[in-house]
Amino acid sequence: MASVSELYDVTWEEMRDKLRKWREENYRNSEQIVDVGEELINEHASKLGDDIWIIYEQVMIAALDCSRDDLAWSCLQELKRQFPDSHRVKRLAGMRLEALERYDDANKLYDSILQDDPTNTAARKRKISILRAQGKSSEAIRELNEYLEQCVCVTYLFRYVLFLSSALSSYAKAAFCLEELMMTNPHNHLYCEQYAEVKYTQGGLENLELARKYFAQALKLNNRNMRALFGLYMSASHIAGSPKVSAKVKKDNVKYAAWAASQINRAYQLAGRGKKENKCSMKAVEEMLESMQITMS
Amino acid sequence: MPLTTQAYCKMLLHAAKYPHCAVNGILVAEKQKEKKKEGHTSTILCVDCVPLFHGTLALAPMLEVALTLIDTWCKENKYVIAGYYQANERIKEVRPNQVAEKVAARISENFSEAAMIILDSSRFTMGCFTPILSIYDHLDNKWKCRDPSTDSFEDWTEAQKITSALLESRSYENLIDFDNHLDDLRNDWTNPEINKSVLHLC
Repeated sequence: MASVSELYDVTWEEMRDKLRKWREENYRNSEQIVDVGEELINEHASKLGDDIWIIYEQVMIAALDCSRDDLAWSCLQELKRQFPDSHRVKRLAGMRLEALERYDDANKLYDSILQDDPTNTAARKRKISILRAQGKSSEAIRELNEYLEQCVCVTYLFRYVLFLSSALSSYAKAAFCLEELMMTNPHNHLYCEQYAEVKYTQGGLENLELARKYFAQALKLNNRNMRALFGLYMSASHIAGSPKVSAKVKKDNVKYAAWAASQINRAYQLAGRGKKENKCSMKAVEEMLESMQITMS
Repeated sequence: MPLTTQAYCKMLLHAAKYPHCAVNGILVAEKQKEKKKEGHTSTILCVDCVPLFHGTLALAPMLEVALTLIDTWCKENKYVIAGYYQANERIKEVRPNQVAEKVAARISENFSEAAMIILDSSRFTMGCFTPILSIYDHLDNKWKCRDPSTDSFEDWTEAQKITSALLESRSYENLIDFDNHLDDLRNDWTNPEINKSVLHLC
């Protein structure tokens, strides 16, 4: 089998930089990380300097994702040798136990970390992940709520509760999380857009209007967010089509929907430039927009 | 309602692309006319699927957009939205959840023989030697489970061979779902390239 460097004609430095990019942007492309990382470790370890330790960590986690216990084990051994008493490495050992579904053993490891260092967020997070893996989502949410009461401003925890809440269709909780996230991250268009989606899903005229406002806000923060654009279109159309709104509200929403429709068409036209196959998407969008116009008027 | 190789293949590729997420999608069907001695009879064949989302499956607006667009596309191609598939996030969960039942129920409003398919990731192997799905039919307002047989496929041997081949060649890296399309409109959720690969291997 050809090596990565041969297949893609890349140097070891490019491979190392790619790993860094994936690490910094939190990609979960585990198969690729294993391919690139394994080769880097096997062929170029001596050139990597101190970077090698964080690469071992990254590759180990990716290896767990790909059921490559052999690779995960050897990375873990290297890290244990270099950092014998590290909590960070202990957590990795715990993750390996989780991958092997040895949850009790993993929990014991995390508990020992927390005994030493009760503020260790990584260990708390892993314990909650175990609950989730075991299908105990309600318990996981309970633990998270307890944890949130003790900590201030932990974005990732809110995201976690959000994720779980959405999975359990607990929209009110999801909305609450997103409100907190929007407060601490006012420029993040994704939170705005997700909040709008949750409100829309909850349904009812008031929620639709809120949804429309937040889709619009998301677009202000990032005018290329297609979900926000579609969402604006859908919510405005539904409001305009509702028998419960005043003539003025209807007129305003027809305007918003029309604006959104033109932007959507424009986006598809830009995307479809020079590509014959995309014409089908464009046509489908045009028809969708037309058919909704009929229900609005 | 039997599945073609293309439909089965793309469902599995979708699940393979996002092993750590729940995934879902729509099944589309076409009426096939068969000549028999007594005249024409038509059977319905599930010819294709459109992968929808990965990760959070339960939010309404994008689902509505997707269903409307797919509906339009179906009408152009004389297809009909005929079913819904889902693979749960946890491999041990092999039953449909609220989201699955809601969407599938909505589909069955427009197509009475709609099927709901839940993929069983715990039996997912590269060789694909057994079909890894449970099929649910809507009977008496409930979803009743039925195990797949070779009748559930247009050609099981072909489906098994081609799906396995595409998994080996990591074709799932190129599979486009509706989420990918919303991230970049140039991504084509009809997956023409993968369709070509399937045809090529037939």
